[in-house]
Amino acid sequence: MMPLALLEAVDRDGQVRQSWRVERWPLTIGRSLDNDVVLTDPHVAPHHATIAPVASVASTDSIDGTAGAGVSMPALAITAGDTRNGLGVGRARLAAGQSKTLADAAGDIDLHLGRATLRLRLAGHALAPEQAMAAVVGHETGWLPTVGIAVAVLTFVLANTWIESDPEGFARALATSLLSAVFVGAVWCGLWALLSKTFTRQSHFGWHLRVFVIASLATLVLAVLPPLLAFSLSWPWIADFAFVAIYATVAAAIYFHLLAVEPGRRRLMRAMAVAGFVAGVAVSLWFNVQRTGRPGEELYMNHLFPPQLRLARAVPVDRFVDALAPIQAVLDRKAKEQFGTDSDSRTGNDDED
Amino acid sequence: MPVSLSARKVYEQARSQLVQIRTVLKGQASQTSVGSGFFVTAQGHIVTNFHVVAEAALKPERHDLVYVTADGREAPLKILQIDVLHDLALLKAGDAAGKNFDALAFRPESEQLSQGERIYSLGNPLDVGFAVTQGTYNGLVKRSFYPQIFFGGALSGGMSGGPALDEEGHVIGINVARRVDGEQVSFLVPASFAQALLARGKDAPPIVQPAYAVVDEQLQKHQALLTERFIQQGWKEATHPRYHVPVPPDVFMRCWGSSEPSRTGGLDFERSDCVMDTRIFVGDFNTGTISLRHESYDGSKLGPLRFAARYSASFRNESFVRLGPQHQTKPRCNEDFIDREGLPLRAVVCIRAYKKLPQLYDVSVLVATLDQNEAGVQGRFDAQGVSFVNAQKLARHYLDAYRWVKPQ
Repeated sequence: MMPLALLEAVDRDGQVRQSWRVERWPLTIGRSLDNDVVLTDPHVAPHHATIAPVASVASTDSIDGTAGAGVSMPALAITAGDTRNGLGVGRARLAAGQSKTLADAAGDIDLHLGRATLRLRLAGHALAPEQAMAAVVGHETGWLPTVGIAVAVLTFVLANTWIESDPEGFARALATSLLSAVFVGAVWCGLWALLSKTFTRQSHFGWHLRVFVIASLATLVLAVLPPLLAFSLSWPWIADFAFVAIYATVAAAIYFHLLAVEPGRRRLMRAMAVAGFVAGVAVSLWFNVQRTGRPGEELYMNHLFPPQLRLARAVPVDRFVDALAPIQAVLDRKAKEQFGTDSDSRTGNDDED
Repeated sequence: MPVSLSARKVYEQARSQLVQIRTVLKGQASQTSVGSGFFVTAQGHIVTNFHVVAEAALKPERHDLVYVTADGREAPLKILQIDVLHDLALLKAGDAAGKNFDALAFRPESEQLSQGERIYSLGNPLDVGFAVTQGTYNGLVKRSFYPQIFFGGALSGGMSGGPALDEEGHVIGINVARRVDGEQVSFLVPASFAQALLARGKDAPPIVQPAYAVVDEQLQKHQALLTERFIQQGWKEATHPRYHVPVPPDVFMRCWGSSEPSRTGGLDFERSDCVMDTRIFVGDFNTGTISLRHESYDGSKLGPLRFAARYSASFRNESFVRLGPQHQTKPRCNEDFIDREGLPLRAVVCIRAYKKLPQLYDVSVLVATLDQNEAGVQGRFDAQGVSFVNAQKLARHYLDAYRWVKPQ
């Protein structure tokens, strides 16, 4: 015989801990042993909630506002018993004695009693379609793109190592840097996979690896491209603020990693990544101002590339030196500003003769 | 070296004119520094080094000056005039009214000493007690911006400001410094500068405010002279096979070179460092000096990309901060590609202002040649304590010196 409903106790990841077939109404839930469903959570009242059919079908109060569809059923209502903590029904909150109609909702209804979460599935509810395995974050394509990007990253690392090492030390340097790149990647992805496994029961290693290689490639490109543009066009600010793009890459990578840890909380994770990015940029800007008096990271553009890559025009010495003049007013102002704060020198310039 | 009879005679003659000068923290009995000095007039004028009285001159609200004679008498001192360029100060005994002091006489300028003549330096080394050391006159120091006497004898801390006397007991110079990397290589300020200071400041009112304005005024004169002499002297020829790289002639600067071939088949480079021996002490720091440096890189074993990475790293590895934030502002820089008769350069000029010395700046110019794939020269020029106009003038002078030996 088909049950009237199914009630499930779920943990914070939505995994079912225990379930009860409901074959008759009313259904009582509480800590006391005379309930149909007994919960041992001390934050649950002895008689916490009762679900029972109501006489009239008043759907004004339905949980999600949709008109009922499907099997016609007597309308159900849930009533909070003598509870201090109240009863959560979906997003609504009932105080002791209050009731709420459970109209033909389209999906499962979450009930919050104390620290326990119960999921109520009524017989008339439409079933959600079957989901594909591992479909936490959109679609996960095959390994091929990941492998391709990983090869690109390792090639980049190889090129960097070649550039940084002297001809006689290349072989050893290459072994070291490739090993450490692989090691760092494995540890990083392993830790994320562990987190995913803890929270979602799936490691999503492939996903984490993909996020890691894409972010690594982006970071490697960002370590070269802004300095190159800054040099080529003689626009120092590009290299000065390249750290913003790198922070954005890191924040995005962490967001995508987190998606495979808490797939149900996309918005929260996005907010965290954005907040982390904004805070990181703000702290860096502040730190730069403290260090150099300017928000940018570099006092001067200090990246030199082969001369052929220069696009900006070279200016005559006179024009360059004349352009120094405005610095004087800035420096004079700074010298005076901070002069007053020095306790040694209250009467600095009084004895001009 | 056994003290000769004449050393004894000289010391006995000079004993009553010799004083120890102590800088004492106000409100405490403790001394912060000690030096030596000597009476030059019967009215109680004393000559010493500026660096002996710098704390009292620049922070008079915290320091007092006293002198102590060889027989232990102690009395306060006033500063009448300072000469930071030659490191001299003219003081007056605070108890001078109505007194008559024994004074040392200056050796007349017309009577030149000759190299090897015996001279005696007096003072109170390390607060141990009054002492006389003998040494030889070795003429003037080579490549000093301001004349200094090379004294072949030992000087120790605390003897600064004491007199150096000839065998007749006449002042020929004032003890000022020694080389710590040598033995018996010491320096004296020629007596003529002390005579000029005495003439100029004998009747001046005592300095009671921090003397930064006076220091600033003297440094302004110094930087004008330094800039003029530096620009006037031009550059050395043949400093690099491909480029004219600015290296100053050995007039008042000294250049050292070194060559560093790579041991791992990497970047070979040669470097040259030019510095002035003269620097002006102004209390908590030195200024008034110019230095230049360049490195010539050869990356032919590396190829363009590897060379560029190293060339860039070397360009990055430069600091433009010298003194603490209480003395100087943070640097402000300007940078661009520069065209020197077709030779492209990357140039950075950074300037800092002094906080207590208005209208004086430190300027640094950093240059990298950008015409070759696997070789180049990077140079750096630094001038301390110059006016803004002269900072620009010196930067222009330095940048203008770069060009190809043969037009490409």
